[in-house]
Amino acid sequence: MCFLQDNNRGLCVTSLYNFNRVSIQFKIVLSLVTSILFGNTALAQQQQIQSEQLLPKDAVTVFSINNISLLQKISMDELVSYEFMSEVHQELFDGSTSGKTLKDAGLDFDQRLNLFYGKTSTHELTGFTFGIADKKALFEVFDDFQVVNSPLNGLEIYGTFFNQLLIKDNRAILIRIEPTMERIDEVTDSIWYARGNEIPFDFFDEPAEDEQILDEQTFEDNPNTPIFPEASDNPAVKNYYELRDSVQVILQQAELSRVINEIFVKGENLYNHDARFAAQLTHNAEGAFYLDNARNLDKSQGLWYFQTVLPTLYKDIQELYAGNVILGDLFLRDNKIDFEVEAQYGPALGSIYAQMNDAKFDQNVLAYISSESPAYFTYNVNLQKAYEQAYKVLLPMLSDEKNAQIAMNVLTLELLNEFINKDALFDTYKGSMFGTFSGIKKVMIKKIEFSYDEETFAYQEIETETQADMPIFTLGFSTTRADIPELVLKHMARLSSRVQRFEHYWRIDNAILDAAPLYILNTGKLLIMTNDEDLARLHPNGYGKAALGKKERSAAKHSGFMYGSADIPQTLDGFPLDVLTPRNAEIVSSLKGKSGRITLSSSETNTSHTAFKLSYSYLGEESTGKHLLDLVNSLYLIYTLNP
Amino acid sequence: MNIILGNKKAYLTNFGITIVQFLHMKYLYMILLFGIVSACIEISDDITLNNNGSGSLRYKINLSSSKVKINSILALDSLDGKPVPSKEQISSKINEFVRILDAQEGISNALVEENYTDFIFKFSCDFTSINNLQDAIALSIAQISKDKISSPSDQYWLSWDGNKLVRSIPSYITEQIKNYKVQDAELLKDGVYTSIARFERPVVSFENKLSTLSKNQMAVMVRTNTLDLKENQHLLDNTIVLSPR
Repeated sequence: MCFLQDNNRGLCVTSLYNFNRVSIQFKIVLSLVTSILFGNTALAQQQQIQSEQLLPKDAVTVFSINNISLLQKISMDELVSYEFMSEVHQELFDGSTSGKTLKDAGLDFDQRLNLFYGKTSTHELTGFTFGIADKKALFEVFDDFQVVNSPLNGLEIYGTFFNQLLIKDNRAILIRIEPTMERIDEVTDSIWYARGNEIPFDFFDEPAEDEQILDEQTFEDNPNTPIFPEASDNPAVKNYYELRDSVQVILQQAELSRVINEIFVKGENLYNHDARFAAQLTHNAEGAFYLDNARNLDKSQGLWYFQTVLPTLYKDIQELYAGNVILGDLFLRDNKIDFEVEAQYGPALGSIYAQMNDAKFDQNVLAYISSESPAYFTYNVNLQKAYEQAYKVLLPMLSDEKNAQIAMNVLTLELLNEFINKDALFDTYKGSMFGTFSGIKKVMIKKIEFSYDEETFAYQEIETETQADMPIFTLGFSTTRADIPELVLKHMARLSSRVQRFEHYWRIDNAILDAAPLYILNTGKLLIMTNDEDLARLHPNGYGKAALGKKERSAAKHSGFMYGSADIPQTLDGFPLDVLTPRNAEIVSSLKGKSGRITLSSSETNTSHTAFKLSYSYLGEESTGKHLLDLVNSLYLIYTLNP
Repeated sequence: MNIILGNKKAYLTNFGITIVQFLHMKYLYMILLFGIVSACIEISDDITLNNNGSGSLRYKINLSSSKVKINSILALDSLDGKPVPSKEQISSKINEFVRILDAQEGISNALVEENYTDFIFKFSCDFTSINNLQDAIALSIAQISKDKISSPSDQYWLSWDGNKLVRSIPSYITEQIKNYKVQDAELLKDGVYTSIARFERPVVSFENKLSTLSKNQMAVMVRTNTLDLKENQHLLDNTIVLSPR
């Protein structure tokens, strides 16, 4: 039973009540250790740290670009075209940026540029903080901001319809705060019904006709028109939607006041609040990344069911995720950007990950990855150990729940655990797997054409063949019980003529999108499913010398639980965005048109952390700063759009 | 084929209005849309007009050459942020429209054939007069989609005086066609729209120069690719004059 899809590892986990105490102790220890380790270092850095002291402590995701001098030559027009700048587009897309670079915009290149995104249970906040070298130049870009009365000495506030620019000394934060729809509705409904109003929506009637807006001037200019009608509603009383708009503005202002008070009066900010973030900024890297997954989880709307219906279980989940933070560094190297990430987690979650990754890499999979594959991955986990540890961690917690449905699920789980031959199951699916994407190939499919005779245009249908584009995928996993899938396939072949046995493979006709065959290779050590006819017919024993080169094989072999590599143009440029959600399409779009290759590898996992490394190597003459922004933008989208 | 894409509507021209408006539900329409912009489609409208003004309409949509794409969409939960329907949901909505249409005055034998292997949909009905047909379509669209056709000129795109058939495209369609942006012109070139008008008497003349006359002189056909139709929404307009009775 799956309760939660972990953001990092795709493992379904919940927490163990018994681990609560351990987890709390761990957090205390962690906090002490980080204070001891990083406290002094952070203090030492304080003199240099400026713009990051304006980051709200509610920020959950932060990208800090430490060396923004790299961006000096980036034009403002180019900068505002990135998705991470979308929140401030209104101010920057009005021509004020035309022909200007970041340097012309008055930014202080000795300070960091920090992009942030945060979400509380009532508000969302986005923006960035930066240093100012030339305020006059800055306001030539931010020319739409109007001065707003400031409640604090030394704090300048400028506002537009959407955003606020807060400046103190040579530091600034540009922030947009939006109350959540749920919060606005909650407050509006409360006021609306307290005033004795009826339900403002009519669920059953036809939608009202569009209201005709009369132009008073037309009536005045034309004496033949009837008299301009009087307003029928009392303009002094707000209707529901007007009230809602007012509530939104008031909530926005209140939250802004709270944030101003927090940052500029109390001196509370993310840098002071989270030592892990402060420590990250001490690294000698071009950029830093911070994602507090524990808080991210806490604000996740997807868990509302647990929050409201199963609060105890939700608390357990929170405990499970306590301490789960993702910290990263961006390093610029020759024609390459390395993004080194460390995912830290608590002991309960860590115990499952550690068991899961206690697996030996099956090198057999490498023989089936062609050196020509635009994209491929290997994944190596010990499913049986992971299952056993998850069972040990999760079941007691679930058993504590006094919920009929969960109780039934627990019973089912326990019965299956007793009755199922787990050795056979996990010998069939060992957990080592690989996947490849071999591009788009043309396949022949049957189609029907309409035809008309010349005599009467009588209609008939003719069956012909046509070509269709088909993405070619291969997925395989290691097995030591090849007899089990063979048994299944034999019985399927007896039931359907679409399933046929050939010398080295099985073929299931029209299994892929009702149009192309699926090939299954059961080699005895691997079970491979593919729609690549070439692989099935010509390479049933692997690609031999045409398989991955020595360097790539070694990288995959020595990576931790996973390794992935993708040629950006070959993989993404032909990818059909229509099939993705708008958010994911945006992420893929952000990488389209880029040159080079992305590789993702992981280190060995232990009970407290896993390290990942994402390398983006590029070709061409484009500036390093642009590539850095490209990668930051993609990561921003991944982490903010899919929290 | 003319296609108009808006937030909630996709229309095919002439009798295609019938089909795609009845397929007004965003889902199937989304599938058709995807097929149209990403691969080729074959559409055929075929009207048989008797001397007394009664007749029958056959409308066929053939997406068999796009079935890989359509199957790939049907395998998804959502497309462009909108949920993708199951074949059952699609079939249910199509049949609901046919049932409503069949109940309208002057309409009989409304039938639909659905082939989800090759994605071919065939609709047919009999009508007692052209006006009955157009009224019935308008009413059925209104019932199933809550869309109202704003003016009579939008509702009536066919006229028949006993000797002459005039067919055009409703203005609300042409307005939307102008706003339609083609994503892949080459693929639209592969799409085919066939429009046929059959009569009980020989045809004397027709105005549309793309038209061809059957050897028995009782039917007129216009075939064009979907890109040309997108660029000229009046490509299918025609005035067909028959021999005197």
